[in-house]
Amino acid sequence: MARWKFPVGIFKAMRIAWINLWRKNIVIQYPHERYELPERARWSVEMTLDENGHHTCTGCKICENTCADYIINIDVSVDEERNKHINHWLYQRGACMMCGLCVEACPFGAIHMGKNIELAYFDKEDLTDDLLTDTDAVKPPRKERPAPTAKSEPVSQEAAHDGAGKTGKSTKEEGGADGDNS
Amino acid sequence: MNPWATGILHTLLLIVVMLLNGSLIIYMLRKVLGHLHLRLGPTELGPGGILQLVPDIVKLLVKEDRHPGKTDRWLYIIAPVIVFVPALMAYIAIPFSDKLIGFDVNLGVLMLFGFLTVIPLGIFAAGWGSHNKYALIGATRAVGGAISYEIPLLLSALIPIMLTGSFSLKAITMAQTTSVWYWLPAFPAMIIFFICSIMETNQSPFDMSEAESELVSGFNTEYSAMRFGFMYLAEFSNNFIMAAIMVSLFFGGWSLPFINPNTMGAFAPIVFIIKTYLVIFAFMFIRGTFSRYRVDQMLAFGWKKLMPIALVYTVVVAFFVKLISMKTGGGL
Ligand code: SF4
Ligand code: SF4
Repeated sequence: MARWKFPVGIFKAMRIAWINLWRKNIVIQYPHERYELPERARWSVEMTLDENGHHTCTGCKICENTCADYIINIDVSVDEERNKHINHWLYQRGACMMCGLCVEACPFGAIHMGKNIELAYFDKEDLTDDLLTDTDAVKPPRKERPAPTAKSEPVSQEAAHDGAGKTGKSTKEEGGADGDNS
Repeated sequence: MNPWATGILHTLLLIVVMLLNGSLIIYMLRKVLGHLHLRLGPTELGPGGILQLVPDIVKLLVKEDRHPGKTDRWLYIIAPVIVFVPALMAYIAIPFSDKLIGFDVNLGVLMLFGFLTVIPLGIFAAGWGSHNKYALIGATRAVGGAISYEIPLLLSALIPIMLTGSFSLKAITMAQTTSVWYWLPAFPAMIIFFICSIMETNQSPFDMSEAESELVSGFNTEYSAMRFGFMYLAEFSNNFIMAAIMVSLFFGGWSLPFINPNTMGAFAPIVFIIKTYLVIFAFMFIRGTFSRYRVDQMLAFGWKKLMPIALVYTVVVAFFVKLISMKTGGGL
């Protein structure tokens, strides 16, 4: 038979419950009261606008390629002068997990995680948002290209391949695994 | 007046009292549990959310009464009635005051417990008839719990009966107006009665038969609409009845200390109801504090702890009552 112990825990639990009964209410009744979001809160992705109210997206699609969930879909067209034009910057808000990878990846600081927490919609269509429609992409601010010198000239693909082949030749022959040589 | 008409009127009155009670207890449960868990409970409809129950009842009334296939049809249909009717009938034996009592039988306590004992039958019928494994497990658990806890419950209720020498709830209450309230001399009996009432009314920490996390909703899983409403209401009505029995047996019924019971008049029922609600509050407090027992723990607690304690205590009290009555020549 189990050793008999005086059930102190029961009274402890009851004491705590009793204290809780009279504690001040900590519930925020959402639609009536709102919680001030902390500085670091991050919700849906939004465009960062500069002081003129203009976006800074270059249409480089790095964010699109970074997103693990394929949330972002950027439709870019390029004209003859190689100017980019953003037709749509589609963002599926309903499926975004707000991880912030796209924001981190964007080299131009064109997007940020917004503070809009009210992401419930009545219509399914509203879940997909077009953040930029039919606008010209910003030209990325480029530095002057350094003048090409002999040393810094990039090695051509073929040359690089040959070099690698030469150094690796002895091992290949010893192994005899190379199909071309046999 | 036509006896049939009076009978029907009385029944309607009972139903109204029961409905009011049930709604009040449901509201109270939500509020008390809410605040115990640092929540608020209902707040939107009416002051403090008190009207929340109206849409709830409307919802239950207008919902489709779904009847799952493969049920044992008659059992399925009759089970809510078996649960509901005893819970309703038990009201007639509760002494709200010395005049306001439906039917003062001299075996009132036995009659009340007799009604309450029928309820597990209804629960079992519901579980069996539903053709659902969760419902069946819940029902067997309810019956197992009822068997193991009703014996200590009755034994502990025997103590005030022995002290008074009467089975009538009214007589027990009257006896407490002249002496102390019985919870003082019969403290262990009061505790045992309290624990067993929690079991009897299917509340946490002994809510085995409808353990939501394991059994969906236990015996009433397959019930919807007003059939479920009846079961739900009966549960809260039982809550009130057990609390009322406890007040009558141990806390002096409608009486107050140092006040002549004959001068209470209209206040007597109010005092009784306030006391009952305090006991219900205690039930809810326990319910909001403790988590559920395991089934074997619950049965072991009932059979190995409560039952021997209740038995020994009853024998001891019986011995002393006999001793005193022999000395004084009858009566306490
Ligand atoms: S948001 Fe940033 S990363 Fe995405 S396309 Fe625009 S500039 Fe490129
Ligand atoms: S926050 Fe994450 S999931 Fe959402 S669009 Fe950006 S990368 Fe994709």
